[in-house]
Amino acid sequence: MSLPSQFQNYTTGHFFDEMFSGDQELSARAHYQQIFQRFDRLTASEISDRRQQADSSFLEHGITFTVYGDEGGTERIFPFDLIPRVIPESEWSMVENGLRQRIIAINLFLNDIYHGRKIIKDGIIPEEIVNSSKNYRPEMIGFDPPQGVYAHICGTDLIRDDKGNYLVLEDNARCPSGASYLLENREIMKRAFPQTFGGMAVRPVEAYPDTLLKTLEYLSPRKSQKPVCVLLTPGVYNSAYFEHTFLARQMGIEIVEGKDLIAIDSCIYMRTTRGLVQVDVIYRRLDDDFLDPLMFRKESMLGVSGLMDAYLKGNVALANAVGTGVADDKVTYAYVPEMIKYYLNQDPILANVPTYLCWRDSDRAHVLQNLENLVVKAANESGGYGMLIGNQSTKEEREEFARLIEAHPREYIAQPIVSLSRHPTFCEEGIAGRHVDLRPFILYGEDVEIIPGGLTRVALKKGSLVVNSSQGGGSKDTWVLKDF
Amino acid sequence: MLSRVADNLYWMSRYIERADGMARMIQVHQSQALEYAQNDQQLEEFWQPVLQSICAESVHPAEQGFRKIGKTLLFSSSFENSIFSSISIARENARMVRDQLSEELWLELNNIYLFFHNGDADQLYKQGSDLLLDRITRFSLVFQGLADATIPHSEGWRFLSLGKYLERADQTSRMLDTLNLRTKEPTRADLMSVLRCCIALSAFRQQFRGNLSLKNVANFLLFSEDFPRSIRFCIRAIDHSLHAISGVPTGTFSNEAERLTGSTLAMVNFTDWNQVVAKGLHQTLDELQTTLIEIGQRVFETYVLLPSEIKSLGERSSAQLAQAQQQQ
Repeated sequence: MSLPSQFQNYTTGHFFDEMFSGDQELSARAHYQQIFQRFDRLTASEISDRRQQADSSFLEHGITFTVYGDEGGTERIFPFDLIPRVIPESEWSMVENGLRQRIIAINLFLNDIYHGRKIIKDGIIPEEIVNSSKNYRPEMIGFDPPQGVYAHICGTDLIRDDKGNYLVLEDNARCPSGASYLLENREIMKRAFPQTFGGMAVRPVEAYPDTLLKTLEYLSPRKSQKPVCVLLTPGVYNSAYFEHTFLARQMGIEIVEGKDLIAIDSCIYMRTTRGLVQVDVIYRRLDDDFLDPLMFRKESMLGVSGLMDAYLKGNVALANAVGTGVADDKVTYAYVPEMIKYYLNQDPILANVPTYLCWRDSDRAHVLQNLENLVVKAANESGGYGMLIGNQSTKEEREEFARLIEAHPREYIAQPIVSLSRHPTFCEEGIAGRHVDLRPFILYGEDVEIIPGGLTRVALKKGSLVVNSSQGGGSKDTWVLKDF
Repeated sequence: MLSRVADNLYWMSRYIERADGMARMIQVHQSQALEYAQNDQQLEEFWQPVLQSICAESVHPAEQGFRKIGKTLLFSSSFENSIFSSISIARENARMVRDQLSEELWLELNNIYLFFHNGDADQLYKQGSDLLLDRITRFSLVFQGLADATIPHSEGWRFLSLGKYLERADQTSRMLDTLNLRTKEPTRADLMSVLRCCIALSAFRQQFRGNLSLKNVANFLLFSEDFPRSIRFCIRAIDHSLHAISGVPTGTFSNEAERLTGSTLAMVNFTDWNQVVAKGLHQTLDELQTTLIEIGQRVFETYVLLPSEIKSLGERSSAQLAQAQQQQ
C-alpha cells in the first residue's frame, strides 16, 4: 500500500509502533484506521491552524505548569500533540484488570507493614528495605486509616516494550498529577476533530472529578452530615498549581493552603470570613514531609501544625494516607509481583520492568559493569530527576553514578533500557515516531475505578526516552474505543 | 468564603484599579508636559509633585531625566505600583482564586498579562505610548464590567467592590493633592489634568459650567454626591460593601472597619469647603489617606487574620518552599 502525503516519510524503526504494524510495508492497525485516514488527509495549514488553536487555548486558560529552579516561576504550557493515542477495549480491559490487581496488592502491603508485618516475617521482602525507605512513616504503625485504604489515588506509569507488552514502570502512590491535562486534552480534541471523535465510540473520561469527590467523601469521619472536603495545595508557585485549582473547581470544593487551616482540640478547621468551619477530608497535594511541622519537617510553612494529631485521632481523613511513599520506593516496586502472589495468590497481569537492586551484591556488580546498557534511577526520586540513561550518558556521568551507587547502594536501582513504543507525533520534520508512556489514574474508594485510558506522555525530543513534562515531554489525548 | 480568598479578591481588584489609575495619570500628564514642560528643568518641576503624590519619588531618580518617566511607571519590575507590576500581582491573586472567577474574567486578565509578558506591550509602546495606555484603561473597564455582569453579587463580589472603591478613593485624593504639592499656584492646565485623571472633566463641566477654580475642582472631587470617583461616593460605596458583607444595617457597626468608614462618611457628608480651607486642603487629604489605609487594615484584621507565624515569615521563603514541593 502506498502512503500519500503526511505519512509518506514515516518509518517505525526497530520499535513497536502504536499506529502501524510491519517494518517494511506500513499498515495502520485496525483500531487506528480512522485516525490514520483523517490525519493523512490534513493539509499543512489545517495542521498549523489546529495546533495554534490548541496552544493558545492552553495559554489563555492558564493551563500551565511551573518550571523548577526558575526564580520568577516561569509558566509553560505542557506541549500537546494532536494525534491521539488509541487503545482498543480488548487491550484496555487487560490493562484495567492488571492495575486493579496491583493497587489492591499495594494497599494490602501498606496495611501489612504498618500492622502485623506478615510479609516480612514470611521472608518475602527484607525488613531493612521497608525500614530504610525514605518515605516509611513509623508514626503510622498500628493506625487504621479511614476505610482501611492507604492509596486512594494512584497514577501507575505504564510503558510498552518492543513486542508491545505493557510493563509497569513505576507506581505513583503519593500525589500523582496529570488528571487535569487528561481532561483538558479531551476537551481540545473534541473541538479540533469533532467528526472523527464522534465516529469512533470513544469511552468518555469526564466522570473523573465526580468519582474523585465520591472517593473523598467516602472517607469522612462524620457520617451524620455532608462531608466538608478540601484540596490542600502547596500554593500558587507549585508546578501543578493549575491542576489543583482545576480539580477543586470541577469538584466544587475549596482549595486551601496550609495557612487557611488550623488545628483546635485535634480537629481541623478552615478560616472563613464567617469564622471557623470543620474539615472532614483533605485531598492533599503535599508530600508527607510538609504536612505538619510538629511531626515532620519543622521548617515547613506549607502544612498545618497539629494535622497529624487530628489525623491519628481519626478526626480528619487524608487522601492519600500518610506513609504510602514506601510503595513508591523503586526498591519496593521490584517486589510488587511477589506481593501480588503473596496477598492475592494470583499471577501478576502486568509485569514489571526487570530491576536490579544495587543493595544486592550480585546485582550491584552486574550494574557497575554494565552501566552503559542500563537505566539507573534513584529509588526515591520522581519527575525524571536523579536518573542516568546509560547509552546516552558521558563517561563522567557514568563515573559519577558509579560513585553514588557504591556510596549508597540502597538508594539506586537499575533496569535494562526498554525501547519504549513509539507513536506518530507532529515534529519539525513532519509526522515522526516519538516514544510514549501511559499514566492511567486509579481511584480506590468503595470500589476501584479507573478512568478509561489515561494521560499519554510523549518524549518530543528525537530519540529521547524521558517523557516527563519537566524534561521536555508533551502529552496526547488517549482514546479507548468501545468497539474494538 | 475562605478568608484568604476574600483577601485575594480584594487585592486583585485593588491592583486592577491601581493599574487603571496609573495609566490615566501617565497619559494625562504626558500630554500636559508636551505643552508646558519642554526642557529638563521644567520637566523635573512638572513631574516631581506627581511622583510625590503617589509616593514614587525614589522610583525614578532625577538623574535619569524625566523624558522616559512614563516608561518606568509602565514597565518597571522593581516598582510595585508600575502598571506591569500591578497587573502581575492582580493576576497572581486571580490564579489563587480561579474557582471564584468566571472564565471570561480570567481570560481578560490573563490576556493583558500575557500581552505584557510576551513583549507585545513593548512593541505597542514603541508605536505610541497612548495606544498602550488606552489598551490598559480599556482592559480595566472591560474587567470591571465583566465582574459586574458575570459573577454572583455575593460575598466575593463585595470584596471586589471594597478593593475597587478603597483604591479609587485613595487615587482621587492623591491626584487632588498634586495641586498642593506644586510650588506655584495651580494653573488652569493643572486643574484640567486632575479632572482628566479622574475622568471627571465632562461631569465637572455639567455642574460648574466653565468655572474652573481650585475651590470648585476640590469641592467636586471631594464632595460630589453622585460622581462615581468622588471621595464621598467611594466612601459611601465602601460603607455599603462592608455592611453587605457583615449583614449589619448601615448607621450601626459591628467592627472597626465599619466604625471608621461610618465616621468618615459622616465627616464628608457634613463638611463644606470652609472647613477644608480652615484645616488646609493638603492636611484634609492627608488625614483621609491615613484613614483609608486604616480601614484596609481593619478589614484585614476582621476578615482575614492570619496566624502569627505566617506574618513573621517573608513571602519569598514560602514561595520557594512551595516551588520545592515536587509533584510526581
